[in-house]
Amino acid sequence: MTKMAQLMQWIDDRFPATKVWNEHLAEYYAPKNFNFWYFFGSLALLVLVNQILTGIWLTMNYNPSGEQAYASVEFIMRDVDWGWLLRYMHSTGASAFFVVVYLHMFRGLIYGSFRKPRELVWLFGMIIFVLLMAEAFMGYLLPWGNMSYWGAQVIINLFSAVPYVGAELTEWIRGDYIISGATLNRFFALHVVALPMALLLMVFLHIVALHKVGSNNPDGIEIKKYKDENGIPLDGIPFHPYYTVKDIVGVAGFLFFFCLIIFFAPDMNGFFLEPPNFTPADPLKTPAHIAPVWYFTPFYSILRAVPDQQLGVVAMAVSLIILFFLPWLDRSKVKSIRYKHWSFRVWLALFVVCFVILGYLGMKGPTPMRTLAAQICTVYYFAFFFLMPWWSRWGATKPVPERVTH
Amino acid sequence: MKKLLITLSACLSFSVIPASVFAAEEGLTLPNDPMPKMSGDFLDISMQRGMQVYMNNCLGCHALSFQRYKRTGEDIGIPEDVMLENLVPADAKIGDLMTNNMKVASAANWFGAAPPDLSVVSRARGTKWLYNYLRGFYIDDSRPYGVNNSVFKDVGMPHALETLQGLQDKTEKVKGLENDIGYAQADIANAKKQLEEGGDKRKLNKIISDAEKIIHDAEAELTAISKAGEYFTIVKEGQLSPQEFDTAMVDLVNFLEYVGEPIKRERERLGVWVLLFIAFFGAVAYMLKKEYWKDIH
Repeated sequence: MTKMAQLMQWIDDRFPATKVWNEHLAEYYAPKNFNFWYFFGSLALLVLVNQILTGIWLTMNYNPSGEQAYASVEFIMRDVDWGWLLRYMHSTGASAFFVVVYLHMFRGLIYGSFRKPRELVWLFGMIIFVLLMAEAFMGYLLPWGNMSYWGAQVIINLFSAVPYVGAELTEWIRGDYIISGATLNRFFALHVVALPMALLLMVFLHIVALHKVGSNNPDGIEIKKYKDENGIPLDGIPFHPYYTVKDIVGVAGFLFFFCLIIFFAPDMNGFFLEPPNFTPADPLKTPAHIAPVWYFTPFYSILRAVPDQQLGVVAMAVSLIILFFLPWLDRSKVKSIRYKHWSFRVWLALFVVCFVILGYLGMKGPTPMRTLAAQICTVYYFAFFFLMPWWSRWGATKPVPERVTH
Repeated sequence: MKKLLITLSACLSFSVIPASVFAAEEGLTLPNDPMPKMSGDFLDISMQRGMQVYMNNCLGCHALSFQRYKRTGEDIGIPEDVMLENLVPADAKIGDLMTNNMKVASAANWFGAAPPDLSVVSRARGTKWLYNYLRGFYIDDSRPYGVNNSVFKDVGMPHALETLQGLQDKTEKVKGLENDIGYAQADIANAKKQLEEGGDKRKLNKIISDAEKIIHDAEAELTAISKAGEYFTIVKEGQLSPQEFDTAMVDLVNFLEYVGEPIKRERERLGVWVLLFIAFFGAVAYMLKKEYWKDIH
């Protein structure tokens, strides 16, 4: 026995290091037919690590007070060595997080990854999505620019739509009668301590649940149905090394675009860093046009599409909550888009179009025509989910293969 | 068949969204000239001259409180002794932030609003806006300091660069066209009010569409005039000719763009190497993946 093996044995006698390594990597069997869409899970993990690490270093120089927050961000941009890179990695990372998470969710949608037995994987994932929205929203207040301030003002005011206690509720959230240093301080605490911890816990549960049931695949069939004499799925390959080396290629592809933005267009023409945020927060000066950052705009559009404010808030909340129920809304006999009736592609394509249009409209000021467009897309958004139990059963499905196609 | 009809009608509902949904919403302000682009040594020299204009004319009211003299000199290529002799105020040290002694409360009294810090103004407003704003001051006796700005209407700021530019006024032709637009806008507002009160729909809609046409034509003509450089005319000469003044403003905006993000040129230089490395890394990773996967069928 070599020294290294002895050390490993010593550890394994006290801690299941080898067991965990094997169960989750070296002997975790994933279907061998993963395609492009399967990169975004590991990329989401990569961005999470990026956000946590850059966040820690930003926290070392950031000052969460109403008087100093804005100046400390510019201090990081100018006087802290490589501070500009940390800040751009963090601000671009926020948008990148939503890009990969939206694509990750879309993958689930097309291949039916949320269907039995993966309902809990989906539910944990949805909780991550909602936590991520809260995390991004609170982080956006921290630079204390004028768009930070007024964006937070708009979103916090949504809670005033709650019957009876609305006004008190918003005051409780802000910790003041207006958004102030008190609000900034508590958002900072939630952004750097509470929400990241909750996120990490949920990511842990998401992966544990996934590894219990095994990964879905583009054919939407169970590889555990056919195993060899050792109990290893015939269509499965060990996650490590096969998918670790494959995901590294995905990481390189992702980093190329990520760094392209960081080094050549960190404000992404106002999409990632909005111009009004380069003036300090001012409670007396409303920006000409308040729009949330792009990743919130589809839901913001749904809110504005409803003429009544209270009902609008309800519609927005429902547009998020409905996603939790997806595993029970899809009644198709098959999971994957490959074997579903062609009408699924039409429903899905229109859904994507609507979602993108809603996102676009949410960035723009309302005009009567735009409101109408948002209303049409909102109706379709809800029709897509609420009518899914019916339309997902339409038409004949194609025969599903017994083994994965590769 | 029924399903097909449903999906088709859903598709069609998108094609009826008119182009106006996607139209731009900003109003027209003039001048609206593009900011000339510069690079390399020309940009450095331009930024150096811009800093000189800034220190002589702007810093008294507009601090650059996040930016330091030392770094500025290093980044745009002004030696430290030249900085200290010419550009750093006598009571400041080379490592200091570029602040001033303006009292916010009294400044707010003088101008209606305290002059803002301009450290990141180029990122808040954009260089094109700044370039046109700086060239947009004209005589307006109704304003407290005798000038208004055609890009930022009723701004509190006096014409700080009057000694350089002199004073300009809108030409008679421009004034006439802008009057036409004003009257047409009043017509539209009036007609809309009458419409709400239940006036003759056909007649009023005709008035509105006629007025909109007048506005549209007048704006097109104004834009052409502005492009030809005939929007303003100098009524009192300054130290610089109009061309020299425009160049000075390009310099000033280039300097402000630098101050807005001092790392910009360095990050773009670095970015090329970062991307080259990632491309190389990606190629190696891809070959590694190929090698591992060749026995998977």
